[in-house]
Amino acid sequence: MRPRRGYSLDLLHLHLPVGGWVSILHRASGALLALLVPCLLYALMLSLRSAEDHARLLAFLSGGPGRALGLVVLWAALHHLLAGLRHLGLDIGWGEGRRRARQTAWASLAAAAGLALAIGAGLL
Amino acid sequence: MTARASGARRGLGAWLAQRASALAMALLAPVFLAYAVAHAPLGYAGWRALFQPLAVRIGALLFVAALLIHAWTGLKEILIDYVHRLGLRLALHFLFGLAYAGCLVWAADILWGAA
Repeated sequence: MRPRRGYSLDLLHLHLPVGGWVSILHRASGALLALLVPCLLYALMLSLRSAEDHARLLAFLSGGPGRALGLVVLWAALHHLLAGLRHLGLDIGWGEGRRRARQTAWASLAAAAGLALAIGAGLL
Repeated sequence: MTARASGARRGLGAWLAQRASALAMALLAPVFLAYAVAHAPLGYAGWRALFQPLAVRIGALLFVAALLIHAWTGLKEILIDYVHRLGLRLALHFLFGLAYAGCLVWAADILWGAA
């Protein structure tokens, strides 16, 4: 029999617990970052290739769509890191209790969004 | 369909690779961040100079390699969940593997060629 993984659930009518949101955003951010790998390498190349390209990259990231894209990538990386650390903790049995699991879920959601916004606003 | 014909294995290797590559990135990234902050403020010259030491280039390439392994393993999980036609799924995974192998060579070229 075919293995049945990832049942398709009606997400619009489900109340997803906060840990579920952290998990699905972990997947979404991971997929986004995986697809953007060539773009990130391109940015690294521009940053090192010449002073002109370096300045061009910084100008792109400092305003408009470039800034928004940079913020999204930053958030995705932070959320993926924090949610991933949380899942590693769950792997070794840390924070599995209902209360603690909810706390770490909220904490990773808030910290990723907060850090991304703070860095984006130039506070850090 | 047998497990052999579907290419399915028990997945322990992928499970371990996913966590080992995550750990490698989680260790390397803060080290590089601290190294960069210690040399701030960075203009173009300062940014380039960061990558001059061989250890930094090797560390950066290891980071990219871990990232690519992590991405390829993670994409496989996603493909298994959403792409149910085996041939299409394997073809997509193969194409991402090719692209990522190219990315690794590209990263080495960026780090050794440009810097």
